[in-house]
Amino acid sequence: MLCRSDPITLRLVFDAFLGVQVALGFSFCYYIFLPDLPSLPRRPSALPSRSVAGRRNEPILAQSRMSRRYDSRTTIFSPEGRLYQVEYAMEAIGNAGAAIGILARDGVILVGEKKVTSKLLQTSRSTEKMYKIDDHLACAVAGIMSDANILINTARVQAQRYTFAYQEPMPVEQLVQSLCDTKQGYTQFGGLRPFGVSFLFAGWDKNYGFQLYMSDPSGNYSGWKAAAIGANNQAAQSMLKQDYKDDFTREEAVQLALKVLSKTMDSTSLTSEKLELAEIFVEPSGDVKYQVCKPELLEKLLVKHGVTQAATEST
Amino acid sequence: MKLDLSGLQSFPSIPGGAVDDLGEDLFAPPSFQLPACSDVPDSRASMGGYISSQSVKKIIEINPYMLGTMAGGAADCQFWHRNLGIKCRLHELANKRRISVTGASKLLANILYSYRGMGLSVGTMIAGWDEKGPGLYYVDSEGGRLKGTRFSVGSGSPYAYGVLDSGYRFDMPVEEAAELARRAIYHATFRDGASGGVASVYHVGPDGWKKLSGDDVGELHYKYYPVAPTPVEQEMTDAPAA
Amino acid sequence: MSIFEYNGSAVVAMVGKNCFAIASDRRLGVNLQTIATDFQRIFKIHDKLYIGLSGLATDVQTLYQRLIFRHKLYQLREERDMKPQTFASLVSALLYEKRFGPYFCMPVIAGLGDDDAPFICTMDCIGAKELAKDFVVSGTASESLYGACESMYKPNMEPEELFETISQALLSSVDRDCLSGWGGHVLLVTPTEVQERTLKGRMD
Repeated sequence: MLCRSDPITLRLVFDAFLGVQVALGFSFCYYIFLPDLPSLPRRPSALPSRSVAGRRNEPILAQSRMSRRYDSRTTIFSPEGRLYQVEYAMEAIGNAGAAIGILARDGVILVGEKKVTSKLLQTSRSTEKMYKIDDHLACAVAGIMSDANILINTARVQAQRYTFAYQEPMPVEQLVQSLCDTKQGYTQFGGLRPFGVSFLFAGWDKNYGFQLYMSDPSGNYSGWKAAAIGANNQAAQSMLKQDYKDDFTREEAVQLALKVLSKTMDSTSLTSEKLELAEIFVEPSGDVKYQVCKPELLEKLLVKHGVTQAATEST
Repeated sequence: MKLDLSGLQSFPSIPGGAVDDLGEDLFAPPSFQLPACSDVPDSRASMGGYISSQSVKKIIEINPYMLGTMAGGAADCQFWHRNLGIKCRLHELANKRRISVTGASKLLANILYSYRGMGLSVGTMIAGWDEKGPGLYYVDSEGGRLKGTRFSVGSGSPYAYGVLDSGYRFDMPVEEAAELARRAIYHATFRDGASGGVASVYHVGPDGWKKLSGDDVGELHYKYYPVAPTPVEQEMTDAPAA
Repeated sequence: MSIFEYNGSAVVAMVGKNCFAIASDRRLGVNLQTIATDFQRIFKIHDKLYIGLSGLATDVQTLYQRLIFRHKLYQLREERDMKPQTFASLVSALLYEKRFGPYFCMPVIAGLGDDDAPFICTMDCIGAKELAKDFVVSGTASESLYGACESMYKPNMEPEELFETISQALLSSVDRDCLSGWGGHVLLVTPTEVQERTLKGRMD
């Protein structure tokens, strides 16, 4: 079949041989591909390695040992149609400190549970779970903080880019979506792990007023009247569903959030050191304001709504 | 025909038939009511972006019956107007009658034409009163010479024309004409960076020219467009020492 | 005509006793033609920091927007406002980024730093900082501004006197410049308050 007097055919075969070797790294594949030779592209670099591997999946015995581990790569569906890595990421968030967001008539509130509280801890930031993204937009985080930092930074830059381009604040949903696009990218491309973070976004824009969004590691997001992420989020969610009223004021929303958190949190007592409260509302001047509640005020609120233990009340 | 020579005292009488063309025009009183040429230039002199003077006399008084305006190179204008003044006076001495505006402007235009292409920069209007009544000519260093009822020259002239053309009528009273001209100059000084200073208004009538007004444009603006004083929102307090 | 003189501008900042003032003209022109007489050249960065940008109007606005972009991110990350010195370095860095195709602006920065100490500085269009203790000027009227400030400035002026001085310096300087003027805009900043005033000027 290989005629020595025909140098073109010879080079074709040689190129194809090299290409297959490079693409698959298995020299024995050469024999498998031999019958296909005439249809192979001449340039070895043009060989799409993935499609070749897919087309000839069953004969590659070395890979079949791994083939049931659909969770080893984020970009692979399991036969049941699931992305295991993404689900594991969500699992990780289930163990993180909880955060609750509630939409009220006159604003949005975010309440978060701080997990690490040590007297030795020295932080430069005022908040651990709440992050201001722009003047009209903030978020609460549950999950891996190192991952969250990356996304928060991206979000802030996005918001400023929008303002630079259009000279107006970025619409809330657009910001949420742009961040979720980033998250989504890690479930499809590159073979990296997904971001282990869920967010609650609270914001205001001129088109849709106050808004609350929740996003998960898969890049899914949705708008909510009240939402919970982190530990025991399902229990919290069902309590919110039961007690939420459409005409809540911010104060009533805070009361509900504290009540839900006190019941779903693992720790026995709810103290101001373990909590963070932030609000977004419109000032009488028309400016949107993001305000973090001071610990002393938070302490007073806990007492007022009867969530805190008698120990604090007696002192 | 009875001739009325009262307006031409210093002139020798001209035999009626001697100058056929002039005929009645010369001796009849002006056929319009408004013997006015109002000349209103500003007074700014600039060198590039720098304002070298805010009070330049841009109306040059050639003789008691004739005015010239200045735009372009200041030296060129000043020199050639003075030169024109001399020539007009010589004409007067030689002919025992004042030179016509037509003649004077032609004299200047011919001189400027002889220097054409040599870098003179003159844009001028010659306004005066002669035997035929009022006369107004535009003359420039490119050799152009035009007769007209209204002109505007210089860097701010397009703006002045805008006001002038929208408000001009041939039979305007002197006061209205003067105010229109003043407004035209004010608007030109507002829009044009190279115009500013004082808006002077001259009127040329049968008895020669007379200066009507000279308004500082800086004040004129607030006369045309008064600013309502805003109350001080906060009184100033002493800053505490740091 | 230089592109720096295309729109015409005059910006000046002066230091007083525990306070500073920054002022600019209000004209926007296209060469000699006046287009607007309410153009803004002084911008707020935060309560105690202002920047005045002379030069080409389009670059003035773009540069200001980029500075807001960077300052906002700084505020979010650091949870505090920028010090005037830091901000000056940021402006300088941003300008040098465009070393071979610069923004046609010359900034004047004025602010109150730590302990409310006044800080003023100016730069050329590629970010060479020039710090001063008394006053800084910029724009097409800069020569006359230098002269006016040089003769009118006194150290340690109280706010009222500082306001009077900077206003007179600005108005008399722009009266010698074809390309700037048409009113003025003055900001007087003390540790406790900011006063913003619009000056009536010659409109020619």
